[in-house]
Amino acid sequence: MFEIPWNVIAMQFFFGIALGCIFVLLSSGMSIIFGLLDVVNFAHGTFAMLGAYAVFVVISLSGSFVVGLVSAVVIVGIIGMIVEFLFLKPLYGKDPLLPLLLTFGLSVAIPDLIKIIFGLIGKPVNYPEALSGTLMLGSVIIPGYRLFIILFTLVALISLWLFLKRSDLGMIIRASTRDSLMVQTLGINVSRIWTFGFGLGVGLAALAGAIAAPMMSATPDMGVDMTMTAFVVTVVGGLGSLGGAIVGGLLIGLVVAFTAFVAGEYSSVSMYFCMALILLVRPRGLFGEQGRE
Amino acid sequence: MQHFKGLGRIGLAMLLVGLISAGLLTAMPTQASAQQKTIKYGTMHPLTGAYAVLGRDQMRATEMAVEEWNAKGGVLGHKIIWVHRDDELKGNVAIRRAKELVEEEKCDFIGGTLSGSISLAMNEFACKTKTPYVAYCMSDMVLGSDQCEYGAAFMVVPYAASLAVAQYAFKNVGKKWFAITADYRWGHSLLEGWLWQSQQMGGQFLGNVYVPLGTTDFSTYYAKVLAAKPDFIVMNNLGADQTAAIKQASELGLTKNIKIFCTKTAQHTIKELGPAYNENVIGGMSFYYKLRDKYPGAKKFVDKFMKKYGAPPEQDGECGYVATNILFMAIEKAGTVSDKKKIMEAMQDIKYQLTKGPEYLRGCDRQRVQSYVLVKGKGAKAKGWDLADIVAEIPGDKIIMSCEDNAKKLPFINIKLPK
Repeated sequence: MFEIPWNVIAMQFFFGIALGCIFVLLSSGMSIIFGLLDVVNFAHGTFAMLGAYAVFVVISLSGSFVVGLVSAVVIVGIIGMIVEFLFLKPLYGKDPLLPLLLTFGLSVAIPDLIKIIFGLIGKPVNYPEALSGTLMLGSVIIPGYRLFIILFTLVALISLWLFLKRSDLGMIIRASTRDSLMVQTLGINVSRIWTFGFGLGVGLAALAGAIAAPMMSATPDMGVDMTMTAFVVTVVGGLGSLGGAIVGGLLIGLVVAFTAFVAGEYSSVSMYFCMALILLVRPRGLFGEQGRE
Repeated sequence: MQHFKGLGRIGLAMLLVGLISAGLLTAMPTQASAQQKTIKYGTMHPLTGAYAVLGRDQMRATEMAVEEWNAKGGVLGHKIIWVHRDDELKGNVAIRRAKELVEEEKCDFIGGTLSGSISLAMNEFACKTKTPYVAYCMSDMVLGSDQCEYGAAFMVVPYAASLAVAQYAFKNVGKKWFAITADYRWGHSLLEGWLWQSQQMGGQFLGNVYVPLGTTDFSTYYAKVLAAKPDFIVMNNLGADQTAAIKQASELGLTKNIKIFCTKTAQHTIKELGPAYNENVIGGMSFYYKLRDKYPGAKKFVDKFMKKYGAPPEQDGECGYVATNILFMAIEKAGTVSDKKKIMEAMQDIKYQLTKGPEYLRGCDRQRVQSYVLVKGKGAKAKGWDLADIVAEIPGDKIIMSCEDNAKKLPFINIKLPK
């Protein structure tokens, strides 16, 4: 048997944070959608999958990874807005089960459409040479791409925060999550805010998928597990809470990473144990609001 | 009466003509089918889900084999009607589909599946219903009490894949190894094979991580692997899991410095991985299309498959093709389409050469004895379907235990898997 040096623990921590960053992006998007629309998006992972395919297509055409990432957000965001406008909007005010069923249907139909268009074999997505390789921090090995994921997620979150806090549109979105009726009374077209909010939410999911794609290839069925993870992280962090999505994502990433290290066969279920524990102690999640459990 | 009065003579005549025509139309196919003798072969494949690519290959190769036999008049003058179902790689679905094939479709013979555990359930079903079943996948169904006279297995037993790859690895690379194993029966069977072969060849087992199916982030497991400092890493996984594992190994620089052995790999995995599946990654397959350069049978099979479907066949397709052929050869040898027991007896020790060198279906357990091929990735030099080169072909006799050992699950039943 071998001893476990501290640098291995440090590496595991780093991997957990990098994994958590993908979870953060996923659940941030889900939190925005739920906070704004009260819609549980069963197709959230599917939009992440679309992000992976979008980045594959754009990189194939442009050769640029960064252009691919940005394009994935924009393309899938627009698709999301179209979906919200055409399919979700007619269901508002009706049985709350209906949007759930719709998004579930999308989670089945869209992957099949992708299989028809792109085939069954996954598509390789490669990051630039500049991001490959590893850095050495003392004796800790840090893969370049994982470091990029962490830094890029930080930039994305800061941008999102600035947008929500400092821009007029962001202020309206925040107000709409609190009281959409009041916002409407002030003469603002809340319906358009909802459409934009849904597009923003799935755009974040697409970014998560696009970032994850180089690690695992873009495959039609990759969204299934991502949806479940998004749910877990969103519930752990607190429904509708962006701060909760960030903390929850990083926490779950670390839980999965260290469980993989100690007892690999339980790494997948560890996030559910964590969720159960947190809900027992704090049913609204870490940062959730009272009454939103 | 009033209605018939209204029809008149012409109307009544037309009605009578219509009734007679309908009677003739329904009678004719029956008479035609009574003249044309048929047998029905039903197969199951995962046509949806993560392994749909492989399931589709199985289906295509079966279709090709059935067409070939029907083109030469069927088997014993019987046209082969082939039907297939999607088992979704789920056991409960597979059993429902198997029942549909036998009870509703009235299939005389069944075949297929990609999952070893489903093949065990299918084998049990075949024994209960006395319906010959030819398994297309790596299966433990020929071991111990799982053996049954109505089942035959056409891909290598899982342990055989491990023995083949392990023999090559310990001979050519080094002794210290670390495994990453898919956490279900098939993965465990592969690990057992590795552990046993390691004992035989002085290998030094450094450790293993069990990874749940569907894991997408393997980086969290590699820290442990790196700390162990193995000569090579063993991947006992497949499909999307293997793709993610190797991609992330490449990301960490592992594929530059350490050899990775994939006990079972697939063409589409190599294609998906592109440059990451480089010269340091060696995978095992029961068939690789480049065997066409060595065997005329392989060339004939591969060229026809490529012409028909636009891509070379995976090992799963080749397995389905051979299994279907052997089933029909056994029917011909038995001289009967209805005496299922006789057909299975005719299958025992049947010798043939179809897609590789001379092979046979071992009589005692109806296990196909075949070679196992090792391929080395071409990395950035891969182009189109030229993805890997064959580095070794391990003969079947070197990687299969005796009939007595298989019946008792020896020696692997004595191997203690790590926790």
